[in-house]
Order: sequence, then C-alpha cells, then structure tokens
Amino acid sequence: MKVERTSIRMLSILGQRGAFGYALTEKAKENDRIIALTADLCTTSGLDRFKSAYPERVVNVGIAEQNMIGIAAGMSTLGYIPFATTFANFACLRACEQMRHFMGYMQENIKIVGFGGGFAMGMFGITHYAIEDIAAIRSISNIVILSPSDCLETAKATIAALQFKGPVYLRLTGVMNHPIVYKEDYEFRIGKAILLKEGRDIAIIATGGMVHQSLQAMKYLEEQGASCKVVNMHTIKPIDKEAICDSLDSKLIVTVEEHSIVGGLGSSVAEVLSELKVKPPHLAIGVSSEYKRAGSYEFMLEQYALTADRIAIKILDKYKEIL
Amino acid sequence: MTNLEKYTNAFVEALNVKASEVEDLAYQSISEWDSVGHMALMATLEEVFDIMLDTEDVLAFSSFKKGKEILTKYNVKF
Repeated sequence: MKVERTSIRMLSILGQRGAFGYALTEKAKENDRIIALTADLCTTSGLDRFKSAYPERVVNVGIAEQNMIGIAAGMSTLGYIPFATTFANFACLRACEQMRHFMGYMQENIKIVGFGGGFAMGMFGITHYAIEDIAAIRSISNIVILSPSDCLETAKATIAALQFKGPVYLRLTGVMNHPIVYKEDYEFRIGKAILLKEGRDIAIIATGGMVHQSLQAMKYLEEQGASCKVVNMHTIKPIDKEAICDSLDSKLIVTVEEHSIVGGLGSSVAEVLSELKVKPPHLAIGVSSEYKRAGSYEFMLEQYALTADRIAIKILDKYKEIL
Repeated sequence: MTNLEKYTNAFVEALNVKASEVEDLAYQSISEWDSVGHMALMATLEEVFDIMLDTEDVLAFSSFKKGKEILTKYNVKF
C-alpha cells in the first residue's frame, strides 16, 4: 500500500471502517483466500468496493452473528482466511461463545472485525455501544486483540491480521474524518507498542481513538510543567510488557481507553504492574461502570469525560495528589 | 494553472478519468467514483487547494458541478 499524504488523508476521511475495507480490497487482489463475511452490514462495513470487485467472495449471513462465526470457522478449516465483520458488541457479546469455541479453543484462522468500538454508533444508542468487548474477548485464550489508533494504522492492522496465522479480533473506533496520528509511514508489529513521545513525569498508555485525545491532553499537561510520555498500545493482547516496564521510572502511569475501566487496557496494564514489587501509581481512565444517556459520538465522549481537556484535568488532579 | 484546471485535474487524478469526461460526473455515475473514490477525490482536493473539508461538505459533494459550489465556501473561485 502506497503511504503518502493524500492517501493518509483519504483513509482518515473514510474512518476506520472504510480504511479496513480499503486495505482488505487491496490485499484481496493478491490473495484469493480472503473472504469477507457480514451480518447484514456490507456497506456499513466499508466493503462496498470489495463487494463490487469480488462478489463471489462476500457472504452476507443476515442478522445472524453467531452463525457467521461458525461459517467463518468452516471456511478456515478449508484454508480460507475469513474476515467476519459486524458491530463490535454483536460480535463479542452476542457471539462470544462462538468466538470462544472456534477462535479460543479451536484456534481457527478467523479475523473478527468489530466496528463501532466504544461510542461510535452514537444515536443508535446503548444497545449498539461496545464498551465491554475487550473485557469479554481478553478473557478468552489465544485471541489476539488489535485496537488501531488511526486510519493508517487500521490499514496496517488489517494487513498484520491477514499475515498472522491465528485468531484475531480487530477493534475499530471512531467515525468518519478520524484524527490522524501518523503523518508518515512507520512499522507496525503485533504485540509491539509504539512510543509516540518521550517524557519523564507521566506515562500515558492509550489505545484506539484515545491515542489522539491523549496526545492532545499531553500538550496541556506539558504547558502545566509535567513532562509526558505517550505510548500507543495498539495491541491489547498480547500486551507489550516491555513497553509498560519502560515506564516504571515515571511518577504516574495513566491508561486511556474508550472501553469500560473494567477488563480493558487499564486492567491489562494493572495485571502487569501487579507482578512488580515497586511501581508508580496507576490511573485508569475509561468508561465508568454506568450506562448514561445515549447521544452523538462527541456527546458521549464529553459525557464520559474522554475528551482531551477532561483527560488532561483528571491526570493533572491525580498528579498533584501524588506529588 | 487556473483553479478550474486544478479542480479538473483532481478528478482526473483521483478517479482515473479523462479531463473531457468530468463535466457531467456525479457520485456513483461511474465505478471509480464509489465511496473510496469519493474520499480519494476529497483528499486530493484538500491537497490541491490547501483546505480542510468539513464532513457535511464531504457528504454533500455529489457531482462535479455541486463540488464547485461547495469549494466557493473555502474561497476557491472559479
């Protein structure tokens, strides 16, 4: 895939779903084992161009997510590489048992692509929000969980998932006109977090759309005199322990995610820290354990205090408390 | 190069069409102008005119003619 300014912006306008569909269509030209499955969401899944180019390689199972995972497992046993796509909550909660059996236990080479991670489904409401998906899937053995920070990274994560032999859950967040984190090409490796900015006092470890918000929050914190490090933890499982341990010199470790504070990135980092004798305090920022009123994507981020300014204030309050 | 020429070239580059064919083009009137082609066109126009299109304008950009109208909001004169 050619990475240049215009293509990065094009992917950004498409949003993570469109970026996934674009990358999958590009790779399908050279790999005829790729199959796209959808549970009645083909266009919404960014698969328009894929469907036009390869109609015989798209399977629409209807509103039957559990069945979709079973069909994907069957295809995997025949050597195909199925990308099963639907909203993240329907994949990970409704079809959780099928993911456990076919991906966790049988380790079939299935790629689940979950759209609308976090609050991206906006006005569709609580039923469509995916704020417990990482927690559910992280507890199942053998499934790699990817959570890209922007649209270029979504394309790279799609390609990495394709090249990885084994089950993968690719969690996509945000809406169209997704903020750009990476303005030029870089190396993406499953399980290897990326240091975006070095800093001494506070280490912010973020994932998905919260990486951009954290970078913005970092600017405010630095204006207040706190030197901040920002790490993009694009792989939630297997977690990059080395990247976490590289932050032990910080006075405060902060995790930021568009997911419940229970069971997601924050919990994963806490599990690593719990094995250590000496570690800095850990502030977990995410979706608090309550269902608030539904609304637009921006409204939901504001309501759960997941915008850059609110994240910065939370971090600063905690930082002052421990100094 | 005039703005009209730049505008036309953006279509040629992003949608792989001839300059003589752009005048009557509309979204999804050709296979190249699908959802992905549309975003490639938007990104090209942003680069050419050094602007940042709002999401509502990206969605309203339904044809070559309509696009000219939208770009005037960004001080692109034809």
